[in-house]
Amino acid sequence: MDPAEVEFLAEKELVKIVPNFTQDKIFLIGGDIGPFSPSLPVSVPLWMAVNLKQGQKCRLVPPDWMDVEKLKDKKQEEMDSKFFTAMPSDQYMEVTQLILKSATDDIPHADEIRTLVKDIWDLRIAKLRSSIDTFVRSDATHAKLNHLTLMELNTVRPFLTQALDHMHVLRNNISGRIQSTQD
Amino acid sequence: MSELEEFGDESSEEVEVLTAAEVLSKLEQAWADEKFAPDLLEAKTDLVECMLEQINEMEENIQRAKRGDFKVSLHRMEIDRIRYLLSSYLRCRLMKIEKHTTHILEQEQMRKEEENSRLSPEEYTFAKEYQASMEGHFKNIALRHMPPNLQSLDPKQTAVRPNLDSYVFLRVAEDTQGVLVEEETVDTGEEIVDLEKGDQHIMRYRPVVPLVASGAVTLI
Repeated sequence: MDPAEVEFLAEKELVKIVPNFTQDKIFLIGGDIGPFSPSLPVSVPLWMAVNLKQGQKCRLVPPDWMDVEKLKDKKQEEMDSKFFTAMPSDQYMEVTQLILKSATDDIPHADEIRTLVKDIWDLRIAKLRSSIDTFVRSDATHAKLNHLTLMELNTVRPFLTQALDHMHVLRNNISGRIQSTQD
Repeated sequence: MSELEEFGDESSEEVEVLTAAEVLSKLEQAWADEKFAPDLLEAKTDLVECMLEQINEMEENIQRAKRGDFKVSLHRMEIDRIRYLLSSYLRCRLMKIEKHTTHILEQEQMRKEEENSRLSPEEYTFAKEYQASMEGHFKNIALRHMPPNLQSLDPKQTAVRPNLDSYVFLRVAEDTQGVLVEEETVDTGEEIVDLEKGDQHIMRYRPVVPLVASGAVTLI
């Protein structure tokens, strides 16, 4: 899957905005949104929030987890744990990217948050790499991947799935089952 | 849209009633499943048509709306997003049909009366025509210049088939006990896993084929 497609999926995540305009409820196909009134926070999909922000029609409210203290704790937890910890959002990376790109001025300590999220991402990817190494060496045929997010899986998808496909073919050839694969 | 959509499932008698938003999220799931599954899944014609209807209706509403109305641009954006989803889904299916034409048509022929076809009627026509043109093309370009004993293509040898043993990532939507991941072989015992709701796994596609079809697991 293309990273842009992963981002596309993340764009339907709901975020809170504070609009500066008045508007009745909007009946979208994906659900009702609104009503909007100035300085009253309202939940909208991220794609809409980004669009409104670009038109300077609203102020973005950062999600609860997008907070320096909380992210520091999360980073520590991720460092201390041998396993992957549950992330506050399944699309933390994409949401951070999108929000920080379009609404840096609405997020307090934006730079620090960017660095922290990147640190957490790096920690998790390093963990993912080393667990893939163990997984492949152990000759296992399946693995449980709880708490990994779609974006993280996506970065290892092409390599990991193909390597495992090849290993499966090799294993079957050893055990004498001949197979024809054309993919 | 707040009103309810009637949504008929042809295989069963009961009629599911879904809101447009639910249809949309089902379609998103179908899109992801289709993207990651190595073989062609059953066509979700009902979902596609329902969404198309919604889009058309919404476009008519937009036509009637006042010019410069702020709402219109938001509705447009949503329509664009859904349209992208729809075309990406359909395009993904067409790519699979082009790649595995012979295999898919063979499956279609062997299909029993009571089974649902995996292809929508339009996709079936496309597959037929695509196969005919490819064969015609091969004949014109190369085969007729070959020695007489080599002038035919044997589908058994030439057909490209999906590799059902390829690895996929999946998320469990319904608890499923005792999925046989690996059959017993000489040197290894059989491997069985229990899938718990919410878990994510990586494994070969073959053991989970029926679960993907029933929606008990979703591909990610």
